[in-house]
Amino acid sequence: MYFTRRVFSMLVTLWIIVTLTFLIMHSIPGDPFSTDAKALPEDVLENMREKYNLDKPLPLQYVLYIKNLLLLDFGPSIQSNRDVNTMIATGFGASAILGLQSLVLSIILGIGLGGLAALYHHRFLDFLSMLIAIIGISVPSFILAPLLIKYAAVEWGLLPVASWGTWQHTILPTIALTVGPVAIIARFVRASMIEVLNQNYIRTAEAKGLSDFQVVLRHGLRNGLIPVITFIGPLFASLITGTFVIEKIFAIPGIGKYFVDSIFNRDYPVILGTTIFYSIILIITLFLIDLSYRFIDPRIKLSSRED
Amino acid sequence: MKNQLKNLHLSLTAILFLVLTVLAGCAPDKNNSSDDTPKENVSQEITTNLGGEPYTLDPAFASDTTSFWVIQHLYEGLLEYDKDGQLVEGAASKIDVSEDGKIYTFTIKEGLKWSNGDAITAKDFEYAWKRVLNPETAAYSPTSFYYIKGAENYNTGNGAVEEVGITAPDDLTLVVELSSPTAFFKQLLARAEFLPVNQSVVEAKENWAGEADSIVTNGAYILDSWKHDQQIVLVKNENYWNNEAISMEKINFEMVADATTYYQMFKTGELDLINSLPLDSIEQEKNNNEYVSSPSFSVYTFSFNVEEKPFTNKKIRQALSYAIDREAIVNNITKAGEASAFGYVPFGFITPNNEDFRNQSEKYYEFNPERAKQLLEEGLKEEGWSELPTVTFKYNTADNHKKIAEAVQEMIKQNLGVNVNLENQEWKTYIDTFKQKNFQVARMGWGGEFLDPLGVLSHYTTTNSSNFTNWSNAEYDQLIEASNPEQDPAKRIELLQKAEAILMEELPIIPILFSAQNALVSEKIEGIRFDVLRNPDLRFAKRVE
Repeated sequence: MYFTRRVFSMLVTLWIIVTLTFLIMHSIPGDPFSTDAKALPEDVLENMREKYNLDKPLPLQYVLYIKNLLLLDFGPSIQSNRDVNTMIATGFGASAILGLQSLVLSIILGIGLGGLAALYHHRFLDFLSMLIAIIGISVPSFILAPLLIKYAAVEWGLLPVASWGTWQHTILPTIALTVGPVAIIARFVRASMIEVLNQNYIRTAEAKGLSDFQVVLRHGLRNGLIPVITFIGPLFASLITGTFVIEKIFAIPGIGKYFVDSIFNRDYPVILGTTIFYSIILIITLFLIDLSYRFIDPRIKLSSRED
Repeated sequence: MKNQLKNLHLSLTAILFLVLTVLAGCAPDKNNSSDDTPKENVSQEITTNLGGEPYTLDPAFASDTTSFWVIQHLYEGLLEYDKDGQLVEGAASKIDVSEDGKIYTFTIKEGLKWSNGDAITAKDFEYAWKRVLNPETAAYSPTSFYYIKGAENYNTGNGAVEEVGITAPDDLTLVVELSSPTAFFKQLLARAEFLPVNQSVVEAKENWAGEADSIVTNGAYILDSWKHDQQIVLVKNENYWNNEAISMEKINFEMVADATTYYQMFKTGELDLINSLPLDSIEQEKNNNEYVSSPSFSVYTFSFNVEEKPFTNKKIRQALSYAIDREAIVNNITKAGEASAFGYVPFGFITPNNEDFRNQSEKYYEFNPERAKQLLEEGLKEEGWSELPTVTFKYNTADNHKKIAEAVQEMIKQNLGVNVNLENQEWKTYIDTFKQKNFQVARMGWGGEFLDPLGVLSHYTTTNSSNFTNWSNAEYDQLIEASNPEQDPAKRIELLQKAEAILMEELPIIPILFSAQNALVSEKIEGIRFDVLRNPDLRFAKRVE
């Protein structure tokens, strides 16, 4: 029952997203065919509009789009003569690799840093961790990325500046992507661990003679992680679908830039395709996160109505 | 608890160290390339930056310089640019023009082959051109063909393909009939939409030009590999008739969008050529031996809407133009090799006297604040106004446009006491605003579509679809129209000069500067040709070390 209801609500959410995006997108001024100020004669434009069904009334375009969408066909990109499906399929690989690397690294470092801060609450290591975290949150990736390039690649010659192909190419972008989330996760972990470590059951565990390692790992972390998991869901979705800034700076052939470029180009099928793709990933991730709460904290029940 | 937690602390520190060590160990082997390779054995390969994914490599659909740059290396038209940038016979061996200038008969070179081995015939050109004109193709630039008899009617659905004046009576002959003599028709032939495509390849697969394994070309290079959004590799086409003249064997086009990134990649030697620079680095690179600045056949303007008060008055328009110190803009603001635009036609077109059109024409609107004030007063009197209200200049959001707009704002305020309000919009929204003529004054850059004064002057005829100024002048229209069929080149230049003089007197647009292209070329590479109209020609380049 829970599942059917949930899947139904996921589909409705998706439909609302598609419809809203469709409407908003067509309401921005400008059209996909005016790439420069040179005005194409009306007949030439008419031929192009016909080719992409843009000559039809908006409701009909909408119906046609939904019809293709049900067949999982995102249509052709207006700018590039490629299928949106192919564009997402080829670009997703690079974005996903970077996203996963950075997610894993963020979680490990974030929990480590936050854990340290909590254990050494109000002492030097706490201040140090939080200083690192605050710097991580406040330095935007578009500042960090060029700095990484300047030093790691240009001055010290350790890594390639940009582009894609070998694992070395993934290092700088992964770092640039990781710093922000590490900081956020560290702060979450610190806050909830401090609370958890003061609970009675931790004292009980210590009294039982468990080693510190076990106390922190089995009792502290497990309970301290719930707020982190709430954050990791959307983080996962946004990391694996690529980020415009990082992909642009490091010349990565991912899908992150399509989200932004398609809007500048008024490339309607790409705007819709990428939005839908991101929404699907986000919706499914949120669903999985909800499921995972149950395993981490059995007190949380899955129900769709009032608790 | 604190002492007992040391273990945990240690293991966390260990993880951190591990990560850092792994990161530090990832240095690529930079010193592999041996510097003592003998010069004769240098592999002829160049790596440059394309900036992004070309939208298409099908000449019929190309509309952007990214696509054009790759396309110009992949295909060859009837005419082709040689080492010195002169337009010479390419796929054609001979061009005969009838006495009335209306019928062009092209003889195709014998034995030409496509990259897949098929023979290249006149039929390929006929097919390619009619394909662009076919309304169902929805090609980007069918209008370049409108000089050909029946072409416009066919493209707009008012005529049959049989009536189009493009025929191939045999495999080596292509006959083109124009509706009226067109002096610059040969210039047009070098444009992308006039390149041939292989009919059987095009018909076999809809997206034939979208992948390396299906594209078939006839120019100096073939597409070796295409990693989308990442890299395109071209290698020499062994089937190309003139392949011995091509010195560069392999071209790697990387797709790096960020200016700072590709600039850094040039600095580390990952790129041999970048044909644009981050704005803030130009000043610093100017004295570098690797820096190349070359003129571009394009003009940067502010357009008036001549139906929008107060710019309905000619003298007020002229006053603004005299109040702008163009030298100061190019020397102190843009500083990247631009030239002051004391006229509308950019530098680059050489007249029959072997002189640049620009130098042969008058110098309009040299900075003259007194004249500006006087004209403003006269204009105000004519209209019965006491003073000029605040006027609004629009531009599309970008640093360089902002700087120029602010400089112009300041100059007008200072020299005329007129307040200028600045407004900017994102590019596509801006184009929309511009095309709807929803402005008093708006910036726009115009690149010539072909290397001829008409390539830019034709925008301002009454019927031209790119004229967004609401300006219309019968004499101007008549001069432009008369220049087309004029067979005497000197007379033709005279007509175009007269037309420019009218444009400058009436002033529906204020030309500000003629743009320049800025590039950095590695000292290891020689012989790249920069052109006023096209992207750098890499075919005849040589790597010397």
